[in-house]
Amino acid sequence: MIFRYLEVFSIIMFFICIFGLITCNNIVKSIIFALMMQTAVIMFWLTIGRGSIPPIIDNTALLDNTSYIADPLPQALMLTAIIIGISVTAVIITMLNTLFRKHLMTDWKAMEKAEDEAFKESLYGDHLKD
Amino acid sequence: MEINALFILWIISGLFIVFESRLYRIIIYFGIFSLISSVVYLFLGAPDVAMAEAGISAFTTVFFIIFVGKYYGNQTNITREKIEINQFFRKLKGITLPFVFCAGLFALYIYTMPDTAASTYLKEWYLSNFISDVGGKNAVTAILLAYRVYDTLFEALILVVSVVAVVHMSHFSDSSVSDGHHSEIENSGMAVFTLRIICPIIVLFGGYLVVNGHISAGGGFQGGLAVATFFICRYMVYNIYDISVKRVMQLEELIFLSIILLSIIAVFLGAAALLPTAYLPMFQRAYLILMNVFIGLKVACGFFILFYRYIAFERR
Repeated sequence: MIFRYLEVFSIIMFFICIFGLITCNNIVKSIIFALMMQTAVIMFWLTIGRGSIPPIIDNTALLDNTSYIADPLPQALMLTAIIIGISVTAVIITMLNTLFRKHLMTDWKAMEKAEDEAFKESLYGDHLKD
Repeated sequence: MEINALFILWIISGLFIVFESRLYRIIIYFGIFSLISSVVYLFLGAPDVAMAEAGISAFTTVFFIIFVGKYYGNQTNITREKIEINQFFRKLKGITLPFVFCAGLFALYIYTMPDTAASTYLKEWYLSNFISDVGGKNAVTAILLAYRVYDTLFEALILVVSVVAVVHMSHFSDSSVSDGHHSEIENSGMAVFTLRIICPIIVLFGGYLVVNGHISAGGGFQGGLAVATFFICRYMVYNIYDISVKRVMQLEELIFLSIILLSIIAVFLGAAALLPTAYLPMFQRAYLILMNVFIGLKVACGFFILFYRYIAFERR
């Protein structure tokens, strides 16, 4: 009976990650929570299509009762999602690195302040000099 | 029942990340989290996804460690501020409201959770038709390479785009280090000795995963990750930047073109219909193996470039 509602675990994990995303101040931590949210979603899909036998059929007698075989479609979709996730993560870390070079900090609020000041300076910098 | 215990461990490892503030520890906990999720995938009957998650988490951890190592190198004195009573209440408010929000959404999900199981029509259709339609024994590979090959093409395109974006969005404008340039890292003899023994086994394992992707768990992507790991080990052993990134990028784009051509010829134009039926199983097997080999090579090139960029440019 407990086994049937396994997808509740991944929903709990998803909301833990949302809680972490709201409360954390560090950019690296935010990226990690986003990755964890992706993992939770993947877990949800795989839990819905779960089965005790993986979808590798080397004996056609297995196909008589398909209720024990895992669903192959969510697995294929989630494999695609994982690859896209790592590609985007690599780009995000590069952008973060470029920002970090500029301000030497990884804090959301401090970074916002520094960016605002840099923007104001770019707007009124010449005026202040005169 | 083991799977319930694994799920509870999974959630505990996630909670560890929420309540930790030191970056190094967060990344190590993230590695543990990915390991546990990979094991859970295996228990849910998804060995392909489990393998991909294991390889991906290794690369993600390496990227983050490279970034955070520099972060700690630049920031010396991290002092903790004293929390006053006024600030304490503000912090409590900042934690309570998100908690109530998340708990409310979770309760809403539990209240509206569907009571019936998901439909199994598509699953049965795929499982009963893929052996005659596509060939091979792995249903996941059949869906990836034949039924939903359009998805796979765009996924390969996104990897190419991300490699180009990493090279062009970087802080450093030069595209490659001068050939034969040594890095400043000093290796320990023990690690080099071990890696020299492990390297050939890693390549063999990667090739095995790629070539056997259509009849067992694995495939182009997982094998490509293993082959890319070989290049990391090679860098660790010889400590030298002697492979031109530009050449590897050209190779990757060439392989991507050949993936598109192969899928157009075999799937979109339906070349199998022109063949006599006796040759059909051979054609199907050749298509699956060739496609897996191309995808594996492309993923290996892509991840080699990403790792190389991080270790040679972003770390400086």
